[in-house]
Amino acid sequence: MTYTSQHLQSLVEPHRVHRDIYTDPEIFKIEMDRLWRHAWIYVGHESQVTEIGNYIATTIGYEPVVMTLDKNNVIQVLHNRCGHKGTKVVTQRAGSAKMFRCPYHGWTYQLDGKLHATPHACGYENTNFDMDDPRYSMRPVARVDTCRGFVFACLSAEGPELLTFLGDTALTINNMCDRSPEGEVEVAGGSLPYMHDCNWKMFVENLNDAIHPMVAHASVGHATRKVVESLPEGSPTPREAEIISPFGGSYKFFDAMGSRTMPYGHSFMGGQSSIHSGYSDIIGYMDAMKTAYGVRRTEEILSQQRHNTTVYPSFTVKDAIQIVRVARPIAVDKTLIETWHFKLKGAPDEMLHRTITYSRLINSPGSMVGPDDWDCYSRMQQSLHSDSSHWVDMRRYLGRNESEGNVNVAPGTSDESARNQYRAWRHYLLGEAI
Amino acid sequence: MPMQKPLTDFDLAEIKSFLFSEAEFLDQGNLRDWRDLFADDGTYWLPASWQQEDPHNHISLIYEDKMMMAIRVENFGHRLAPSMQYPLRCSHILGHFRVLAHNENTITIKSNFQVIVYYKDQTLYAGTYIHKLRPLDNSYEIVEKRVDLINCDADHRSILIYL
Repeated sequence: MTYTSQHLQSLVEPHRVHRDIYTDPEIFKIEMDRLWRHAWIYVGHESQVTEIGNYIATTIGYEPVVMTLDKNNVIQVLHNRCGHKGTKVVTQRAGSAKMFRCPYHGWTYQLDGKLHATPHACGYENTNFDMDDPRYSMRPVARVDTCRGFVFACLSAEGPELLTFLGDTALTINNMCDRSPEGEVEVAGGSLPYMHDCNWKMFVENLNDAIHPMVAHASVGHATRKVVESLPEGSPTPREAEIISPFGGSYKFFDAMGSRTMPYGHSFMGGQSSIHSGYSDIIGYMDAMKTAYGVRRTEEILSQQRHNTTVYPSFTVKDAIQIVRVARPIAVDKTLIETWHFKLKGAPDEMLHRTITYSRLINSPGSMVGPDDWDCYSRMQQSLHSDSSHWVDMRRYLGRNESEGNVNVAPGTSDESARNQYRAWRHYLLGEAI
Repeated sequence: MPMQKPLTDFDLAEIKSFLFSEAEFLDQGNLRDWRDLFADDGTYWLPASWQQEDPHNHISLIYEDKMMMAIRVENFGHRLAPSMQYPLRCSHILGHFRVLAHNENTITIKSNFQVIVYYKDQTLYAGTYIHKLRPLDNSYEIVEKRVDLINCDADHRSILIYL
């Protein structure tokens, strides 16, 4: 079926959305076309392409792309498609190349995507074939920009600049970088791809859904408490317990964290306090920070305690623990979630160890937290096909938010972040004002 | 490391039998007795990268000490865990045992394995085990169990039980 604007509009009400937006492959196609092609999507980090010819391959919605550093030291994001027959040119997730070469008919491309040569070129004589025609290149995407080394791309030439798009969420990226005594972060410790049998929006909505942890993660909370209580008296709290325990936090705890929403569907939780506030100090880190920034600025940097910041639709970041999770939609009911870890340059190695421990305990397919979220998403994906109701409710704390400049503040367990995502969804799909 | 007297066929048979019983505890979903096979300083490691060298500076799918194993024992099959409300059964096959190193304190033995896990769907995991064992009076305890999946860096779905 083909959706009219009127029909699409009827799927999102102020307090509920129609289940078809999670289950209909046709809507998924429309989202890939109108939302994922027009929003700024996270591609990768500059530290992954530090030498000329370094590349990583990923996707922007449906589009396979490759990010590389060209011979002029410019970061390029190219469509990963041979200009000849459409073959995917790069298949490795990361690597290094002098040039890109299609393995099918041997067309070669420079690092900026320009066609370099076609074998046995005499066959193109007198055929109007033009080597310089961009149609035969690995075309650069419409726009590429960075924020503190984080590379985003937009497949559309139209729309806001990256920094306008990011708005207040840029402060989360800044804070993550400022937590390095050198003011820079770099990708470290490998990545963790985790295949989810659900629509991409379920994952993205869940990041600022603070009404689920005490239920969906109750078991691991109980298990951790039981084991910690059985440790000999006076034992220090293990780091693992510090990381897992807040997931069993009370409704009051999460309400107090607060939820903040802003234009383009972005949001974050926390501010003054978050699930990361209770971590023990790591020896040497404070000294390194104070030497670099002075006492006052260090306290200012470390007092920002955001939980998940969601840059709608693809990029989610935890500045306080230096982890990024990226949603890569594959089909209406299939989404790859990538976890990336960042090292604070100039900080003790122990800081990266904590980042890695957090990711292993919370985000890994083998953890005791991620699989419970995963299971709830896949249950929704299956049962939303039920005809007993066609609506998904999101009315918690409806109308109970306050405006603080460009940012709306709501109690932590409000559904406001999800409602805000659907305002952006309507903006992209229907051209409504943001 | 000074080589002690070579392992006898009898020693090898005992080690294999120990590894088979370890696998059987997992097949039975008996994580409590499985955990008891580990030394107090024992670790279980499921790397996320091929030939991964380090569990601290690089992400792993699982890397747990005995305290974390205790949490997993309590969480496994917990009625409040959404992911645990399904049958979960597995079947291990081990073979091709070779001793990598041994001295009076430890024996390091590598084997190939295949584990079929039934959890919603049926999934085949395969790769190698490296067990570092410490001899006890009549048995062994596990100092390290390293599980290298041939698809360690694939796009995994949830892994609910130690492999």
